[in-house]
Amino acid sequence: MIYLDNAATTPMFEGAMEVMRQEACCNFYNPSAGYHAALNVSKSLNEARKTLLEKLGARKGDIIFTSGATESNNLAIFGSVRGGKTEYVFSGGEHPSVYNTARALQDKGGVVHFVPLGKNGQIDYDELEKVINDRTRLISIIHVSNETGAINDIKRVTLLRDKLAPNALVHVDGVQAFCKIQFSLDQLGIDLYTISAHKFGGPKGVGALYVKNKQALKNIVYGGGQEGGLRSGTENVAGIKAMEWAVKNIDVGANFKNTELLQKIFLENLDKKITWLETDSPYIISLSFPGVNGETLMRALENEVIVGTGSACSAKHAGNRILEGIGFNKDKIKSSLRVSFNAYQSQDEVTKAAKTISVRYNEILEKVK
Amino acid sequence: MKVILLRFGELFLKGKNRKLFEKKLIENIKTKLSDEEFVFHATSGRYIISGYKPETEEGIVQKLQTVFGLHSLCLANGVDAQEEIIRQEVIKVELKNKSFKVEVKRADKTFPIRSMDYAAKLGGLLLDLNPQASVNLYHPDVTIYVDIRENKKAYIYYNFVRCQGGLPLGTAGKALLLLSGGIDSPVAGYLMSKRGLELEALHFHSYPYTSELAKEKVIALGNKISQYCGKIKLHVISFTRVQEEIHMHCAEEYMITIMRRIMMRIAERLCEKNGLGAIVTGESLGQVASQTMQSMTVTGGVVKKTPVFRPCIAMDKEEIMEIANKIDTYETSILPYEDCCTVFLPKYPVIKPTIEKAEREEARLDIDELVDFALSTEEIIEIG
Repeated sequence: MIYLDNAATTPMFEGAMEVMRQEACCNFYNPSAGYHAALNVSKSLNEARKTLLEKLGARKGDIIFTSGATESNNLAIFGSVRGGKTEYVFSGGEHPSVYNTARALQDKGGVVHFVPLGKNGQIDYDELEKVINDRTRLISIIHVSNETGAINDIKRVTLLRDKLAPNALVHVDGVQAFCKIQFSLDQLGIDLYTISAHKFGGPKGVGALYVKNKQALKNIVYGGGQEGGLRSGTENVAGIKAMEWAVKNIDVGANFKNTELLQKIFLENLDKKITWLETDSPYIISLSFPGVNGETLMRALENEVIVGTGSACSAKHAGNRILEGIGFNKDKIKSSLRVSFNAYQSQDEVTKAAKTISVRYNEILEKVK
Repeated sequence: MKVILLRFGELFLKGKNRKLFEKKLIENIKTKLSDEEFVFHATSGRYIISGYKPETEEGIVQKLQTVFGLHSLCLANGVDAQEEIIRQEVIKVELKNKSFKVEVKRADKTFPIRSMDYAAKLGGLLLDLNPQASVNLYHPDVTIYVDIRENKKAYIYYNFVRCQGGLPLGTAGKALLLLSGGIDSPVAGYLMSKRGLELEALHFHSYPYTSELAKEKVIALGNKISQYCGKIKLHVISFTRVQEEIHMHCAEEYMITIMRRIMMRIAERLCEKNGLGAIVTGESLGQVASQTMQSMTVTGGVVKKTPVFRPCIAMDKEEIMEIANKIDTYETSILPYEDCCTVFLPKYPVIKPTIEKAEREEARLDIDELVDFALSTEEIIEIG
């Protein structure tokens, strides 16, 4: 079985599993407790913060550990909300954990703008420019689209912010970018950045929010005041240390190059009738299978190749907001599947996967035409 | 002491068979309450459940409200059969401006006042306490029953709550329900069970064209209706090859007609094999192209020895949805998983098919082989 749904989740590194076991076994103390053993755990968490900051390319700022990207996104958005005449800007290509949070903010009376997507899957920067103004409090744009692999030009976003709304915060959902593509938060000028461990070989249930300036954010849950008061609740120490292990052991540059090669080989081996949306991240590609329902093909394949129909968080709902936003018609959306790679896969594997997908596609096409 | 009084419905219409029906009803009540501690007592015309822990009362009532054959139930208080104690209990009844009557039954003839006199006395007392209320001996809003029993206990009760009605499950035999996953078929199953039919169910899937979730949904629906219909044996059959063959060889507008004719053949074969006496479907006249009178004639035409029951036939969608809500299947039914009928859907299905045309289309298929093949894919899931 070949797993090509790495945008949904990735297999965990053996090393990360071992760290998790070790931590759960030996360093189980509550990091907020007052004794020496607990203090060591607390220090160990701070080391993990440093590791993350370094990988993110941020010299200042803080890491707030969370239960994952959904929580980080909620904290970034609802934690930024202020009264008065404030406005909030989101891209139409956001993951449900941002999109639905934005909708909730709208329901509560917030002034929310959604920026449409261009044909290449990136946000429409001209439209973005139109909606940013001095009332803008937060701009939240996904870094790499979980549906298409399109990479948004975040520098362009922060420059627009600097020009039109210097006091606004820029939040970036970096779930499909962190540990996959190279960037530096300092260079990009980002205030808030979301990451999730299980997308890069870490465990599920762990994530973080990078916060450049903690004063700009308010907590959204109440409790013991952990994580500088921004996220109460005892930290998932074992999970955090396992995430740290993954971060330390990933060579982003080498992985990117290898994945580019994997994607190239994969696409070369696909049947010529199959089309795709060209985007910049080699990790994710949205394929179209003319004449065949994508879900049918996914199921027909599942004993051989596992692929996705898009965000697993929304697989149960009909339609696809993002592909629709790019301008795909209903038939094309229905015939779409998402393939997402892992840098550690072999060329043979992806070649075999592409060939199998092509064979199964043609078989179904023959039956339904 | 708290007790639950049960009244049964249509059974009183039964003549010599009544005993059989009652026996089944009592058996069903006891099975339904098998996890509970209680004492069951049958008196003429009603049953009494007692001896349960007060905290289990709500659960017991809920379970009893799913038993077919029970007309209504009522929570009652059993007190010592002494005038003063009974009086204290009776005056608790709030009547406001309603009409009422008091009915006394005196099984214990040593009780000092005769039934009629005692009823009048208690009625007068209530009238004094509720000046807005009125007495109506024929069609009262509220009837207050005082049941004085031989064991020197009196049961005072009023406000019967409706139960399911119908006939005891199992008294009408066993049938096969075609369960698609939509709104109508679970309702059809419920309605037929209400008339005493036990059920097995048949579901067709078209994997990989339909999702495994569609099957899970049907199992969830089966679980919901099994609250009423009892244990259900679900037969799951792969329809993929049948659909592919029809799609390949037959006229597009006859796709659904032929599909349904083959489904009915498979259903009848399962009935024969499993000793099931009828096929139950959720069809409603005119709801879709395949549910016109002509379509039903053509699809039903292949079923030779088994009656097809269509309890929703004369119901509006809204009426069906109302029942689906009542039996809590609606929310599950509307989950958006494709069922096998939505695969290879023709743009313009035939509305008035004919048997001759259907047979001509079918001549291009090896029907017997397809039916056998489909039956060979059978998977059985026990539900409930």
